Amino acid sequence: MAIYSIYILSKSGGLIYQYDHTSIKVEVEKTFSYPLDIQLTEKNKRIVVAYGQKDGINIGHILLAVNGSQLNGTSLGDGQEVTAFLANESNYPVNLKFGRPKLSTNDKMFLASGFYSFYLIARQLSPVLASSGIEFLEADTFKLHGFQTLTGIQFLIVTEPNQMNVEHLLRRVYELYADFALKNPFYSLEMPIRCEKFESNLRLVLEQQEESSVNTA
Amino acid sequence: MSSLKLKTTILDRSISKGKNEVSLNGFALLFSEIVQYCQNRVSTVPELQAKLSEFGQQVGIRMLDLLIVREKNGKREIKLLQILIFIKSTVWKSLFGKEADKLEHANDDDHTYYLIEKESLVNKFISVPKDKGNLNCAAFSAGIIEGILNTSNFPAKVTAHWHKGTTYMIKFDESVILRDKQLEGR
Repeated sequence: MAIYSIYILSKSGGLIYQYDHTSIKVEVEKTFSYPLDIQLTEKNKRIVVAYGQKDGINIGHILLAVNGSQLNGTSLGDGQEVTAFLANESNYPVNLKFGRPKLSTNDKMFLASGFYSFYLIARQLSPVLASSGIEFLEADTFKLHGFQTLTGIQFLIVTEPNQMNVEHLLRRVYELYADFALKNPFYSLEMPIRCEKFESNLRLVLEQQEESSVNTA
Repeated sequence: MSSLKLKTTILDRSISKGKNEVSLNGFALLFSEIVQYCQNRVSTVPELQAKLSEFGQQVGIRMLDLLIVREKNGKREIKLLQILIFIKSTVWKSLFGKEADKLEHANDDDHTYYLIEKESLVNKFISVPKDKGNLNCAAFSAGIIEGILNTSNFPAKVTAHWHKGTTYMIKFDESVILRDKQLEGR
């Protein structure tokens, strides 16, 4: 049971708050011999797997470490470029660690506004007027719970499939938003929420929720 | 008949305490608006604090009269320590529903007193952004204290600081300390 992340969207579909609670690390380590049988490219200053998916190393994964030492962008700890290092036969066999890249803030904003469009489409698909849109979305690895307030703010919580009582949690997060964002004179509507007290209380609520769901399980 | 009718006016009724609780949410939203109102009219943090303090002083002046009549049978405090205790307990209780946490006397300066509040009610929902530095919206409460002290003829400057929660630094005028020492002799 886990709560992965929380998103808050403004009424115009912009991401105004995002919090990752539990993140799952996907990392694969493998020793390679020369020549390297997967194709790597450089993208956004990271080494990305482009071709040759195998043994849990998927396309889109990024190279995290070489021979146990962390990468710094596209260069090794000692400043040497990775591409040059991997092209040199004398460096083999080499141990490479790949992992799934975390979503960047930009990605999250992009996905959130994308989801918002789907939500609007869902509302239009409804044969009956005033549909609530997407409240719940189920996949094999996660569940997404949504809650739209009367003023158009949308709260999304991504959880593990067996997480219970998320509706209650959504209401609690709404309460926190009403308390610590709206009653804060330094918060302006529709803008990203940067309030210490909001964040600390949100963390508290999430921890309580997880504790209570452990107890009832 | 006419005298009977007169008795029912609001002025003839005793000033009862009544149910004097208001919604915390209502207060918090109002206070948030006050801060935003002030913020739109000033350009710097010290100015904002001064403006909030000004608002607080208006509250303090009115609270003093009301509480003296309600709780003290019309008798005003004349001793320094007494009025500080009056603020710490009576005023704070009627305004915020609880007493302030601590009252301290500065070690190095006999003009200065500290009133300490761990969790200030006015700051309950407020997160101050980093660029605002050491702004404390409890400057409003500091203004209340200042209003009460000044109208009770204890001229003082009161400021709010972030220290052990919120600390109100009360700096009395020289004349107050002198007068209090004279009173002590009697």
